[in-house]
Amino acid sequence: MGTTASQLDKDLLSEYQELTFLTKQEILLAHKRFSELLSKDERNFENTRVSMERILTLPELKSNPFRERICHVFSTSDQKNGSLTFEDFLDLLSAFSDSATLEIKSHYAFRIFDFDDDGTLDCGDLEKLVNCLTGETDDTRLTTDEMRQLINNILEESDIDKDGTVNLSEFQHVISRSPDFVSSFKIVL
Amino acid sequence: MSARDRTRAILDLPMSFEEKNGECFIFHHKTKCCIFSYDLYIKSARQTLELWQGIMKEIGGKFGSSVLSYFVFLKWLLMFNIFSFMVNFGFITIPLLVSDHSPNIPPNVSFRGLELLSGAGYFTYTVMYYGGYSNATVGQVYDMQLAYFFTIAVYMVLCGIALIFSMASSFRQNYVLADSVSNSAWQLLCSWDFSVTNERAVRQRRNNLRESLSEKAQEELLTLSEKLRHYGVHFGSWLLSTGLAVGCGASIYYLCQYEQKVHNQEAETLLVPFVVSLINLVIPLFYSLFNKFEHYSSQRQQIYALVVRSGNVFLRLVILAVLCYYWMNVVAEKFSCWESMVGQALYRLVIFDFLFLMLGSFFGEFLSNVIGTRLLTSLGVPEFDVARNVLDLIYTQTLAWIGIYFAPLLPAIQILKFFLLFYLKKVNACFQEFSTCCAIYQRSKFIPPRFVCLVLLCRLSPSEQCGPFQGLNNTFAVVEVWMTELEGPSHSHWTVWIYHNVIRSELFYFLVTLIIIVIIYIFWQVTKGRQELIRLLRQQIINEGKDKFFLLDKLQNLQKSHPNRNPKQKKQKEVCCDRVFFLC
Repeated sequence: MGTTASQLDKDLLSEYQELTFLTKQEILLAHKRFSELLSKDERNFENTRVSMERILTLPELKSNPFRERICHVFSTSDQKNGSLTFEDFLDLLSAFSDSATLEIKSHYAFRIFDFDDDGTLDCGDLEKLVNCLTGETDDTRLTTDEMRQLINNILEESDIDKDGTVNLSEFQHVISRSPDFVSSFKIVL
Repeated sequence: MSARDRTRAILDLPMSFEEKNGECFIFHHKTKCCIFSYDLYIKSARQTLELWQGIMKEIGGKFGSSVLSYFVFLKWLLMFNIFSFMVNFGFITIPLLVSDHSPNIPPNVSFRGLELLSGAGYFTYTVMYYGGYSNATVGQVYDMQLAYFFTIAVYMVLCGIALIFSMASSFRQNYVLADSVSNSAWQLLCSWDFSVTNERAVRQRRNNLRESLSEKAQEELLTLSEKLRHYGVHFGSWLLSTGLAVGCGASIYYLCQYEQKVHNQEAETLLVPFVVSLINLVIPLFYSLFNKFEHYSSQRQQIYALVVRSGNVFLRLVILAVLCYYWMNVVAEKFSCWESMVGQALYRLVIFDFLFLMLGSFFGEFLSNVIGTRLLTSLGVPEFDVARNVLDLIYTQTLAWIGIYFAPLLPAIQILKFFLLFYLKKVNACFQEFSTCCAIYQRSKFIPPRFVCLVLLCRLSPSEQCGPFQGLNNTFAVVEVWMTELEGPSHSHWTVWIYHNVIRSELFYFLVTLIIIVIIYIFWQVTKGRQELIRLLRQQIINEGKDKFFLLDKLQNLQKSHPNRNPKQKKQKEVCCDRVFFLC
């Protein structure tokens, strides 16, 4: 399954429509934007892989604090370098689309927040998450006291089995009670 | 499972595209395609027919989801008004226009331009207001009195039901589920809006998030004196905002009285709506200015929410209450056709509100946007205050709902207003900071003023000389008259029976109240039982976790003390390990 030169086959298009949450217009737009990232010769190959640096030039991802984690999570490359094929890109857009279910979104959110990819969110992951969201420079970070207090609050409220980490089910439990999550976990081209 | 269900289930799995494709090849590709292409065709056709669908998507993508919720609310209100206009026009205005082609306008009154603003003059004698409708029976079949009464009553009931349903659905989502963790740190972290693409917006949101998070963290670390100071500041702000609102209400009342004393020309009637709209525009600015001086308090976000939002709401409620009181007590006594006067006053309020919204939008948002981006970039781009704009929408719609009895064609103006407002606000919209404004907050504001309106109608007697309810003691008397008429012919006995034994009897209402109380009690008990169950299950999870650690410790100790030489023993230990991990 690959992309042809400049147009998508009708079969491929309907297949993409079935297997993702995207509509036909969204898939065509994604194809157009993805092709713009490729150079002229790359467009003729099937299944080209685009490096993370080029993906991050997209305006939708450029200012996102989680841009690198998003690329790593959706990448299917063997070298784990965050590069994406067109189908990975569609997966990305599908998970972030309007019609994706809460389970899909919370699953991917968990993987994005899991900075060390060990399957749970421990103190280190939470600290990196807070720093990612509050700013990278020293004067915008929280003090160590505040950080410690904050992480204690978070763990107290979401760590149900009291093992010091937040696993997927606990994360999904917290997310299910947040009404804003589905509408804010969205990227639209 | 049918093919479609199977594919839906595959969609739900968080697998990559290639893996999903493998699963799909198990069954027929082509037949699935046929079913799905039909389904998708219907969906895309429906999407193109909906109003503003493409624009909404663009707004949601560019400006974030809280700004989008404002536009969704605006569209919802527009649909409401279109529906009410069609109902009113169809059932009340068209029969009157058909029966009576020429409205009875006195010969010396002609159309001048001022009527568009003041609503009086030429318009007083048209179908715009209550006074333009007669109590005749059109064509011996269509009773205008009953038509007017039932149209307005059924429309109000339908609106009430629609509001209650939408409140109930968002209640569950925003209040029950978001119960104790509604403002917690986790919620702030997980609600990062991924759709924001503007660099400056991202930076601003990060700053706001950092402030909120450090506030949360510091809450725990406060000493007693600091807590007392916080309560003091909260109380002081509340006192100030309430005092300001009450002062404005009193001034509006005295202005109305003054206007009545010197009521000579039509242009002077424009004074009250002008002042009301000016107050609604300027006083919220005072509230936000007050917030800017709050440097010494670390609870800025909370005080902002408290003072600005509830202050604005209270201000508008006070003004509406003062105006309604004035209309009920003074206007109703003084004028002969008082319903038309009230209708005109409401018309003027609606028009001026629209003018001021446009002006405020132009000066407040557009100009400061231009100045911020082109001239003085240090100021930064202003925010699109969703809460204040939503409150403006609610206020104008409340005016329209109060006025629908007195001026049945008021929704037409609302339709025009909302249509123009959509495009105006779209130009001015910019990214919005993180906001906790939820839907239930918006829609619950509609309920109290509508009850005020109903009370107004029940207590007052309709005017003698004009309108569909001339000569009756009470608006609801029209139903009584109809019932006495129906008692004659034999085939309507069941209607009369229902009227006397169900609607007029107290026993019915008592029974209904009793049933509702019983149902509420049952739900309450079930909720309490479930809360207890949740507590027990949580405790069970903690205990299981402790068991797991205990067993793992034991296993490790066992492995350390007895290094395994026997492969059979090793296998037993592996089985043991598996059982332990099964528990996890």
